[in-house]
Amino acid sequence: MILQTALLIGVVLFSVLAILLRDLLKSAVSLAVASLLLGIIFFRMNAPYAGVFEISVVAGLITVLFILTITLVHKGDEVRESRLANWVFPLFFVIFVVIDALVMKSLLGKIPALASGAETGTFGEVLWKGRTLDLVGQIAVILAGVFAVLALFRKGDKHE
Amino acid sequence: MSNTWFYYAFFAAALVLAGVLGLLLKRNLIKLFICIEVIGKGISLLLLSTGFAKGSILTAQALVITYIVIEVSLVATALALIINVYRTTRSLDIRGLAKLKG
Repeated sequence: MILQTALLIGVVLFSVLAILLRDLLKSAVSLAVASLLLGIIFFRMNAPYAGVFEISVVAGLITVLFILTITLVHKGDEVRESRLANWVFPLFFVIFVVIDALVMKSLLGKIPALASGAETGTFGEVLWKGRTLDLVGQIAVILAGVFAVLALFRKGDKHE
Repeated sequence: MSNTWFYYAFFAAALVLAGVLGLLLKRNLIKLFICIEVIGKGISLLLLSTGFAKGSILTAQALVITYIVIEVSLVATALALIINVYRTTRSLDIRGLAKLKG
């Protein structure tokens, strides 16, 4: 439990760092570290497939995409952030974490317990038989993403 | 079981709030997108921890994998959009978008 707590604190810490750091490259790397820690947490919660996806896709592929974009928009660091953010963010974050710690337990107690049958079979059976429609949706989403990127990087017509 | 659920939900809520606060306070488009990613991390942690606490980890895993696939598609599209915005406005400042007309 101590290791799990340390990992969860690490995820929150690196996520907050990713938001607060001025350098975009450092932000992207912080986000990747947070994803890596989250992947390890998934592994420890007996969810190896989700952990593998989190580490390989989110910590790997998405970070590469972020770094590629940051190198393409090399003047991006010059955006002037509001000074308000420097003290409002930590202040509200600490206040919320305190409230969160005080009320979350009673809040969860008010959620009616849903009756769920015990799961049987392997992960493959649940994914391919139980959530088949999800897979169709995933294919549709991937195709939508591909066509959107193609449309956004389409070269202008010659007559324009 | 509910004790561990409370424990994970606490950290998931902290992640979501950090993302929302960042969305409200930051002006850099890439930074705003990083905030959306942080919110997504909180949501996937909550999904998996709920499955873990309620004894349906396999379904929760399937949902998290679906979410990750959607996330990749979203990231690719949004970053392409950000590059196009940068080409048009020569800036990543969100306030520059308010000046666009037409």
